[in-house]
Amino acid sequence: MKRNVPLAICLGFGIVMMVQFFVPHPISVGFYDLTTKWVRIVSAFALVLGVGSFLMYHTEKLRRRRTGWLYSIVALVAAAVSTVVGLAWGVKQTSPLQNYIFTPLLVPLNASMFAILAFYMASAAYRAFRARTKESALLLIAAFIVMLGMVPLGAAIWHRLPDLAEWILSVPNMAAKRAITFGVALGGIATALKVILGIERGWLGGGKQ
Amino acid sequence: MHVSHSLLTWVAAILTIGIFSFLWKDNPFYKFCEHLFVGVSIGYGIAVTWYNGVYPDLVTPLFRQGKPLYIIPLVLGLCYFCRFIPRVSWLIRFPMAFTIGWGMGVAIPANFQTSIVKQIQGTLLTPAIFARWDVLLWAIISFVGVICTVFYFFFSREHKGALRLASQTGVVYLMVGFGASFGYTVMARMSLLIGRLQFILRDWLGVIK
Amino acid sequence: MKFFQYLLKIDRRIIYIVMGLLVTLPLVKPLGLGVTSGPRAARLFQAVDSIPAGKTLLISVDFDPASMPELYPMLTAVMRHAFAKNLKVLLCGLWPTGMGLAIKAATDIPPEYGKKYGEDVVYLGYKPGVDAVILGMGENIKNVYPYDYSGRSLDSLPMMRDVQRLRDIPMIVALSAGTPGYSDWLAYAQSRYGMKVGTGLTAVSAADAYPFLQSGQLTGLLAGMKGAAEYEVLVQKSNYSKAYMPAVAAMDSQSLAHVVIMILVIIGNIAYFVTRKRRS
Repeated sequence: MKRNVPLAICLGFGIVMMVQFFVPHPISVGFYDLTTKWVRIVSAFALVLGVGSFLMYHTEKLRRRRTGWLYSIVALVAAAVSTVVGLAWGVKQTSPLQNYIFTPLLVPLNASMFAILAFYMASAAYRAFRARTKESALLLIAAFIVMLGMVPLGAAIWHRLPDLAEWILSVPNMAAKRAITFGVALGGIATALKVILGIERGWLGGGKQ
Repeated sequence: MHVSHSLLTWVAAILTIGIFSFLWKDNPFYKFCEHLFVGVSIGYGIAVTWYNGVYPDLVTPLFRQGKPLYIIPLVLGLCYFCRFIPRVSWLIRFPMAFTIGWGMGVAIPANFQTSIVKQIQGTLLTPAIFARWDVLLWAIISFVGVICTVFYFFFSREHKGALRLASQTGVVYLMVGFGASFGYTVMARMSLLIGRLQFILRDWLGVIK
Repeated sequence: MKFFQYLLKIDRRIIYIVMGLLVTLPLVKPLGLGVTSGPRAARLFQAVDSIPAGKTLLISVDFDPASMPELYPMLTAVMRHAFAKNLKVLLCGLWPTGMGLAIKAATDIPPEYGKKYGEDVVYLGYKPGVDAVILGMGENIKNVYPYDYSGRSLDSLPMMRDVQRLRDIPMIVALSAGTPGYSDWLAYAQSRYGMKVGTGLTAVSAADAYPFLQSGQLTGLLAGMKGAAEYEVLVQKSNYSKAYMPAVAAMDSQSLAHVVIMILVIIGNIAYFVTRKRRS
């Protein structure tokens, strides 16, 4: 019951949805339409897992007074306030959630968090990007051509440089990425089939039950 | 220089500086901003998921329009809460079985068509490429690249003789591809930094137009 | 020798300061390099340009504030282009934190062209369940989005009378910062409903999209802030907009930033090889 029924559900829906792709019969389309709605609803509940883990981690840290517990208060209060504001006033353009939480808090924090990566990348490139072998030299040259060719300065240095960069991207890069795409797609399909057929059962979680 | 008079712009600017302060070293101001970001993101996600997902897709049809069939996704969704109750935590397998089985079943034919069939079609040397010498040449180079890179990822046989030559050629394509990716990564990270600098210099300090 | 050893051990904060200053400088004092558009941006521009007036363009806002400098200028430029051509714009999104950005664009841009919400532009909002959302829209958009982002019934919005399902829309422009994004629109909207898909991507994921561009699955590709700048230039050259172009304004700084990284890599390599030679 605890393992076999979920495995059967997964197998049943997996096979039915695969077959459904090729059967445009009204019953098939009706079933597809109904289950599509259900999946959207059930997917929305998956947020519970993330929020639950967040609450458990920070309340536990707070309860045990672990290092940095004061910051857990910041995270919990911020989550509570934005949830209450969001649920009370909605998500409209005029809502305080958009005007007092999204624009002045979420936007700068999220954008700055990723912006500082530029500095780390500069430092890492300086310290670690070495042309030790022929292959790494090739990587370096391709990177330099793309970096210069993709910005206006490249065209100012040599007017054909953007074309060369575009050629690198459209021909050798495209070929390499296509081969990787084949590998990823075949691997993904094989894994999906293993999950549907119950060979891969990692998603059931640990334990004997 | 026209420094902003908006309190919200000042808040956004101070939080930006807070995140950037991590570049110097880890500090309490950064930690405050980091935890604020996590909390606000969670709250925003809850509000948006409620108003754009759960409420219109489940609450309205089930409780306001009286459609009883929606009890099924509701029960499946509520099973996610069981994750935090050890005795019945196995119940989470039911919504997961449904969404995984459904998702995999739908994804297999779609991804096969997008990432395998269409990509093979794109690799084939069709009569259209003979129209111009450069198109023909680039198509052949791409074709060789795709085949050789696929061979590089072929591990069922030892890379000797012709297979070694093919896989070594594949490495050349891969290095150029990774170089192109690196060049683009530099571009991406720098853009994010420039975006923040534009905010500081234009919206906050009014130094630039 | 000591100089090169010092170079290898230089404090990372010196690198940060040098880079920060050199990237800031062109923002204050532009170099005036100018931006020319490439073939990928032109293909997307042509595709949007060829949509008959009165038809609807779907733009999927699949990014969050982290990618705002790259993708938000694309969103505004494509919207301006669409409104100038008298197209209707339908916005949707697969990322929850993209919602505020889509709302901002749907509020700020239409008035520039005298367009009204509900008649010329509608924002459907964010919806969880990526594949189920796209596939559901293929059958009936109102089944997936009975209401717009703010809770208004789609039946009450005049623009939505002619748009029932994905096949009623000539083209999708997916502005993606990762997954979910353009790959999902290709896998579900294109493979199942034959939709024409164009995309604007963060530069970091652009190199991976070339196989889909070459195979004709993607109709045009804007890569990063440069891609946004190219589209802004195309829109302005066609006299579709006279608005401020944030991506174009950033291009001088972008150029210098790339040069700084290249110089850092070159110096790092010289110092490494000189000290290695001496050591051996």
